[in-house]
Amino acid sequence: MSLSLPQWLNCLAAAQAGEVAPALALAAAPDASLAATDANYAAGTAATTALLLMLAAAEASDAPVREAALAGAARPVLGPDADGRDARCAALGARLADAEHAGDAATANAVLALLLAEAEAEMMGLGLPLPVPISHGQTK
Amino acid sequence: MRLRVSQICSTLPAELLARFLGEKWGEPVSITGIKRFHGGSARQTYRFDASAPSGRREALVLRRDPPSSLIETDRAAEFAALAAFHRSSVPVPEPLWCENTAFGSPGFLMREVAGGTAAGLMEPDPYGEDAAAIGTALFTALGAIHRTAPAAAGIAPVSAGDAAPARLDHWRRAFEADRFRPEPIVEAALRWLGRTQVAPAQRVSIVHGDYRSGNFLRAGSRLVAVLDWEMVHAGDPMEDLAWACDPLWSHGSGRPAATLPLADAHRVWERASGLTVDPEALLWWRMFAQVMGAVIWISAAREVIDGRSHDPVHAFAGIIPYRFHMVTLARSLSRSLSQGRGA
Repeated sequence: MSLSLPQWLNCLAAAQAGEVAPALALAAAPDASLAATDANYAAGTAATTALLLMLAAAEASDAPVREAALAGAARPVLGPDADGRDARCAALGARLADAEHAGDAATANAVLALLLAEAEAEMMGLGLPLPVPISHGQTK
Repeated sequence: MRLRVSQICSTLPAELLARFLGEKWGEPVSITGIKRFHGGSARQTYRFDASAPSGRREALVLRRDPPSSLIETDRAAEFAALAAFHRSSVPVPEPLWCENTAFGSPGFLMREVAGGTAAGLMEPDPYGEDAAAIGTALFTALGAIHRTAPAAAGIAPVSAGDAAPARLDHWRRAFEADRFRPEPIVEAALRWLGRTQVAPAQRVSIVHGDYRSGNFLRAGSRLVAVLDWEMVHAGDPMEDLAWACDPLWSHGSGRPAATLPLADAHRVWERASGLTVDPEALLWWRMFAQVMGAVIWISAAREVIDGRSHDPVHAFAGIIPYRFHMVTLARSLSRSLSQGRGA
């Protein structure tokens, strides 16, 4: 993932305190014209925050199981470097670069498969569907 | 006392607008109906009504710089691009004034385009039965943009051979500046782009830079305005075509911008631009589009981590579109490897 869960939650707490709560206070203020200025913005911010809170709940539930599965899959290739997302990704990145340099397509393919599995697991961990490809065969 | 709703943006003081427009119109101006739009990350966008004792009344939009942005962009170029396409076959809002100090932060005013709606990123099937008509209009307008030389908007040109390397260098530097965790997929994609030959641009034209579903207004089956020109630059038209056809903007449909099938979108664009889709070049630019997206999402997350932003839109970008592009990039790299193009 890009943002870690604690970073993600800190951002939501700050948005709630710095954006949504003051806007709600303004909405109840006597100067209605001032409240209207940012009410639309605050409503959108609140909706985005709510969406991210739901996804954070999914992430918190999924991450430990996902980590165990991804580490288990990478351990035959990486040994102890398989544990922990950042260590694992750094090690997979180094393996991939080495394989490319050596022209070792089999290893490159195997490492890419692990990275793809990692990326798909992180997407599905949010409860969101995987990307639908766009290709010439697609006419849906 | 001026109440602040946000550390990102205070409420827009109506008196700033009234003073500025009063000078332009030569009579006192009243400002009502200010509304800030949610979601824009490169600019703060407000709509409002201006009226004067003479009876003059106009609905206007202000786009001004925020303190924190996903991307550093050139508002003068954005304004000039709108001016270049206003009254052309590419529908855009009419730009009015570009100012550095009048609006609290640098920005510009344009006339509001009434009646149009834009699709949300996660909105399923946003165009419904109008999808084919919208797609035809969308890719026709894109082709028209690509018939336009950068000089029309006062944009510095780039040579045909430099268009791709210059863009790759730009986003590689942005990645190196903002990365904060191991990113093996982005690194591998950057290596692939660096070692894969891409043909020089068939034509150097204006490139919108963020042409996609969500960045235009439509009314029914009619395209009423192409918006968000903040990333406009001179370059290879294939860059826009690849970005417009990226799966992230397909609303899960498998069709570019949830409109036409890919082959039809290409045909419409070819007819309008007078260019042809080079499959090899498009392969490169599609990989590039995903890298550009990934770097934008990483930069958004970096804004949050460094405390420059607590806008949840930045957090959203650093989570959902980021993860989406990690999947599509890893798939693209795997496909390239299986086709013998090197991982």
